[in-house]
Amino acid sequence: MKKLLLLLLLATCIPIFCMRASAQGVVFIANSSVKGSEYSKADVRDVFTGASSTLKSGSQVTPVVLKQGVVHEDFLTRFVGKSDSAFRANWRSIVFSGQGVMPRTVDSESAMVEYVAHTAGAVGYIGKPTLHEGIKTLAVR
Amino acid sequence: MKRILLAAVMPLLGLGAVPAQSLDDLNVQVHGYATQGFIYSTKNNWNTTNSSKGTAAWTEAVLNVTAQPDPKVRLAVQGRYFLLGTYGNQITLDFASADFKLNEHFGLRAGKVKSPLSLLNESQDIDPAQLWVLLPQSVYPIASRNTLLAHYGAVFYGKANLSESLGTIDYRAYGGQRFQGSDDGYLQGLRDRGDTLPNGVTGPMSGVSLRWRSPLQGLIVGATVDSEQGSGTIVTPHFTGKLVGTYRYRPFYFAQYEHKKLMLAGEYSRLALRANLTFPGIPLIATRADERLFYVMGSYKLATKLTGGLYYSSAIDHEVKPSSRKYQKDWALSTRYDFNPFLYAKVEEHFVDGTLIGYSSSNNPNGLKPNTLMTFLKVGVSF
Repeated sequence: MKKLLLLLLLATCIPIFCMRASAQGVVFIANSSVKGSEYSKADVRDVFTGASSTLKSGSQVTPVVLKQGVVHEDFLTRFVGKSDSAFRANWRSIVFSGQGVMPRTVDSESAMVEYVAHTAGAVGYIGKPTLHEGIKTLAVR
Repeated sequence: MKRILLAAVMPLLGLGAVPAQSLDDLNVQVHGYATQGFIYSTKNNWNTTNSSKGTAAWTEAVLNVTAQPDPKVRLAVQGRYFLLGTYGNQITLDFASADFKLNEHFGLRAGKVKSPLSLLNESQDIDPAQLWVLLPQSVYPIASRNTLLAHYGAVFYGKANLSESLGTIDYRAYGGQRFQGSDDGYLQGLRDRGDTLPNGVTGPMSGVSLRWRSPLQGLIVGATVDSEQGSGTIVTPHFTGKLVGTYRYRPFYFAQYEHKKLMLAGEYSRLALRANLTFPGIPLIATRADERLFYVMGSYKLATKLTGGLYYSSAIDHEVKPSSRKYQKDWALSTRYDFNPFLYAKVEEHFVDGTLIGYSSSNNPNGLKPNTLMTFLKVGVSF
């Protein structure tokens, strides 16, 4: 009976942990040259939609985006408020009206970490916190 | 031609001013798109197309090259092939500019630059970024797109953060010279009479545009005041003279709200034109127009790859006597399907009442009918 209860409890908790993992699945990282470590959702949204190229700390930053995947979708839903097609349409407007360049797109989270670590001012996002020389984690609230 | 060469060379001069770097360091990007349209109208031929019989004479291809050798410096060139009926069928320069952004509060773009007037002017030609096949023709007539899209000169831009509770103001101040080609849609009435402006109409222009990004996420409210004066040589079947437009001020007021899958927008503009035609030995001929133009639109993302939308566009010329030439009311129903991030298709139906914009008597020799249904199909690819 105890085993059955334990199994039931586990079965109940697993989805909760999964939801937490999904809901907390976006970690913002920046090149260590970027000043500050706490930003608002609006700060992040402005940078990743091309509305701004400077964080409130004064650092000039360049966004880097994942090509696709769960983390990318989660990032768009929670921090940009646009679908992937609307997100890309917005950037096309910026490029084809002569107001900016398309953000660099990387294929994987490891490529994201490598690029951000070696590019001054780069800001990106991954699924899990990572320790890597040259990058810092940003708290976004 | 000299202007085009100058505008194209300016960014290259800027490129030469930066220290020698690899292409990767220069952050060179190449993007483009191409579209093919099909048009069918039940009655009137639209613009210079043979649409009442169905036509595929609507093709566009765009190539953009942008380099950002430094976070504060950007150089961009964009060329376009455009064909709509007998309009275009040539490659033109959309823009060629050098951009220096000192900080968020101040930047300068110079060369041939897109004119930042109204809500959608800078993006009115970017088909991959739009749901609509055709933007509301009251404010964005496609036959005059090249005229309104860009100018030779500069744009000063930046933003001021008011506060977290008041939002942000984006500003653009611009000036230079605008060129209206001899095949521009606004000159269609003259062409219908057999008059031509072989060198088009040119003159100084300037304006200021403000956009308030409100604290309510997704809400933008803005206004533009655009002024210009144009003149050119006019050739009629019997005389050669001069067309001189008086200074005109054109206001735009607009708002847009985006929330998740929903987009709502609206815009109002008034276009009051005064032009004098002078011919040797003939009393001055004055022409005028006073168009009140507006649209409201809404769209909704119905599924991941499917978007639908509806708009109503209205134009009335208060200088024209009551007839179907005096006004135009257009209901448009549109859908777009994105097959993947690069390929899309659009279908759009228009219910048009009135013939003020987009119809010429010379392309409708049997007379213009007051009402027309128009169907547009479009396929596009972008990279």
